[in-house]
Amino acid sequence: MAAEGVRKEPKSADNPILWVARPMATAARQFGKSLIRPSTIVYPFERLEDPQFREEVAVAAGKPIGVGAVWDNYRGVHALNIATCISCNLCAFSCPDLCIDMVTVPGGDPKHPKKCPEIDYGKCSYCGFCSDACPEGCLTMTTRYELSTAKRSEMVYSPAKLYEVFQRKLPMNPVRIELPENEDAILLDPPLCIGCNACSRDCPTQCITMIDIPKVAPKPGEKPAKRIWKEPVINDSDCVRCGTCISVCPKECLFWGSRT
Amino acid sequence: MSVTLLSVATAISQAILGAIGSVLPQPASGAVTNVNTVDGLAALIFAAILLLASMLNTIVLIWWERKLLGRFMDRRGAMHVGYAGLLQNFADGIKLFRKDTVKPREADTLGFWSGPTAYMVTSLIIFAILPVSTGWNSGSLPLSLLLALAVFSFAPLFIFVSAWSSNNKYSLIGGMRSAAQMIAYEVPILLAVVAVVLVSGSFDLQTIVLEQTNYWFWVPLFLALVVFVAGMLAEMERIPFDLPEAEAELVEGWNTEYGGMMFAFFMLTDYLRALLGSFLIVLLFLGGWTMPGWVPAAATSFPLAGIFWFMLKVYIVFTVFVWIRASLPRVRTDQLLRVGWNRMVPLALLSVVLAALLVTVKCLPVLGCIPTLGG
Repeated sequence: MAAEGVRKEPKSADNPILWVARPMATAARQFGKSLIRPSTIVYPFERLEDPQFREEVAVAAGKPIGVGAVWDNYRGVHALNIATCISCNLCAFSCPDLCIDMVTVPGGDPKHPKKCPEIDYGKCSYCGFCSDACPEGCLTMTTRYELSTAKRSEMVYSPAKLYEVFQRKLPMNPVRIELPENEDAILLDPPLCIGCNACSRDCPTQCITMIDIPKVAPKPGEKPAKRIWKEPVINDSDCVRCGTCISVCPKECLFWGSRT
Repeated sequence: MSVTLLSVATAISQAILGAIGSVLPQPASGAVTNVNTVDGLAALIFAAILLLASMLNTIVLIWWERKLLGRFMDRRGAMHVGYAGLLQNFADGIKLFRKDTVKPREADTLGFWSGPTAYMVTSLIIFAILPVSTGWNSGSLPLSLLLALAVFSFAPLFIFVSAWSSNNKYSLIGGMRSAAQMIAYEVPILLAVVAVVLVSGSFDLQTIVLEQTNYWFWVPLFLALVVFVAGMLAEMERIPFDLPEAEAELVEGWNTEYGGMMFAFFMLTDYLRALLGSFLIVLLFLGGWTMPGWVPAAATSFPLAGIFWFMLKVYIVFTVFVWIRASLPRVRTDQLLRVGWNRMVPLALLSVVLAALLVTVKCLPVLGCIPTLGG
C-alpha cells in the first residue's frame, strides 16, 4: 500500500535484470543515433548561422539540429542603419539596462546634431526592447554573437561599429514594418503655450508645424501676454511618439492623451 | 613457437653488443659479448618493448574510451589534437608532467610517494606474465594465471597505503572503500577462475587458450563469465563500482591529494588495470588469440595475426565496459558489498559446479569436446 502522493514505481523495478538491461538499451540507442551525427556542432568550424551548414545538417540527420523558429528569432549584436536613424531617443528610453547612450555622429546640421545609439554590451541584456521601440526599424538585432574582446572598452559599440554590423547583412530578427496601433497622442494645453517653437525645432520627424493664431487682446487692466502668437499642430500619422517635444517644452504645456 | 618476443630481444641485444664488441680491443670485447651480458641486455630490451607496448595501448585505450563515451553522451570527445584527437592524451600527459607534485605537510612521506609507484609497477608486472599471442610473453609459465591474479590483487594494499598516508579524510574513506570492495570481489573472481581451471585442467594461460580451440569457454561457462566481468568491474573501480573514487561525494577518492605526475600514475594505472582485466577476460573466456574454425585460414595466418585478433577482442571487451559505464549509475556501498557476498559468491559456486559437471561429461552435444592438453 503506497502512501498518498508517492509515485508508483513501474513493475520493471522489481526485476533486477531490467535494472541493467534497460539503461544499457537506452545508451545503445543513443550511441547509434549519435554515430550518424552528435547533437553538438564543432563550433568554430561549423556555425549554425551558416546556411550551407544548415543545409548539410538537414540532409545528414533528416531534420535540422537547433535550426528553426527559435534561431531565426535570435537576439545578438545590434545592427544600426545610420542613414534612416532619426535621433528620436526611443531606444535609449526603452533600455532597461541604461546601456544605450545617444552620441553625436557626423551628418546633422550644427543646430540639430544627429545623435545615434552607442551600446555598451557589457551591460546589455539583449532584451530587444530598443529594436521593438525603434520607429524607423533602423536598430535591429542580428544573429551575431561573437563579442569577446581583450578590453572592456571594446565592448562599447559606437554607432559606426553598429553600422558596420548592419553592412554585413546578417540575418536579422523580423523588422517590424508597421507601428502598432497607438491611441496615445500628444495634446496641447493652449493657454500655457508661449509659441516658442522648441517642440517643432526638436521633433525628429518634423511632424510639428507652428501655425499662426489670432492675437488675443489683453483684458483691460492686464499686461499684454508675452508670447509669440503661434501654436504647434501635431500630425499624428507622422508622429513616432518619441516624446521629445514634451521633454523640451519649457512651459510643460504638451502632454500625453487621447484625441477621442 | 618459432619467433618469440624474448628471442627478438636477444637478437637485438646480440646485434648491439656485437657491434660494440667488434670496436673494442680483445679482453673488453670478450666481456661485452659474453652470454650473460647479452642475456641481461635482452631482458632489458624485452622489458622496454613490453612497457612501450602496454603504455601505448593504455593511452590508445583512454582515447578510445573518450571517443566512445562522447558518442554515448551525444557529443564527440577529443577532436583537435592529432587525427580525431588521438594525440590529446599525450598533450594531457605533457601537461601533467610539467606540473608540480605537492605533498601535504602532514602526509607520510614514504607512503605518499611510494604508493602510486608501487601501484603502477605491480600492475605493469602482469604484462610480462600474460601471453598476448604464442611466444609474446617470457615463456610458458606453468602457474602464470595464479601469478597474474596474485600480483593483480596487490592493488588494494598500495591504494590503502597511499590513501592512509595522504592524511585526508576523503582519501581515507576512498581507500577503505577500495580495500573493502576489492577484497569482497576477489573471492567471486577466484571462484570463477576455478571454473575455468577445472575445465581446462591447467593454470598456464597458454594452455588455457589452446584448450579453447573447439569452443570458447564463455559458452558453457556463461555464469562464470558474468561473475568474472562484474568482479573485474569492481577490481578496476569502474562505474558502476567506482565508489572509491566517487567524485560527487569523495572529491576524487583515494587520489584526492595527488597532483601532477602522481595523479597521472594513478590515472594511467586505472586504465592499465582496465586493459589487464580485458586481457584476462579474453584469455579465460574468449579464446585468446585463437579464432573459430569457420574463419578463413587467410585471416588467421598473416604475420602477427594472433596479436591482431587478440587486441581486437580486448578492445571489444573494453567497449562493453565503456557501454556499461555510459549506462549504469553508481551503486551504494551496502549494495555493492551485498551483491558481492550474497549474489556473486553463490553464482560463482554454481558456476564451479557446472564446470565440474562439464568435466565429467567431457563432450557437449553441439559444441564438441574439450581437448585434454592439461591432462
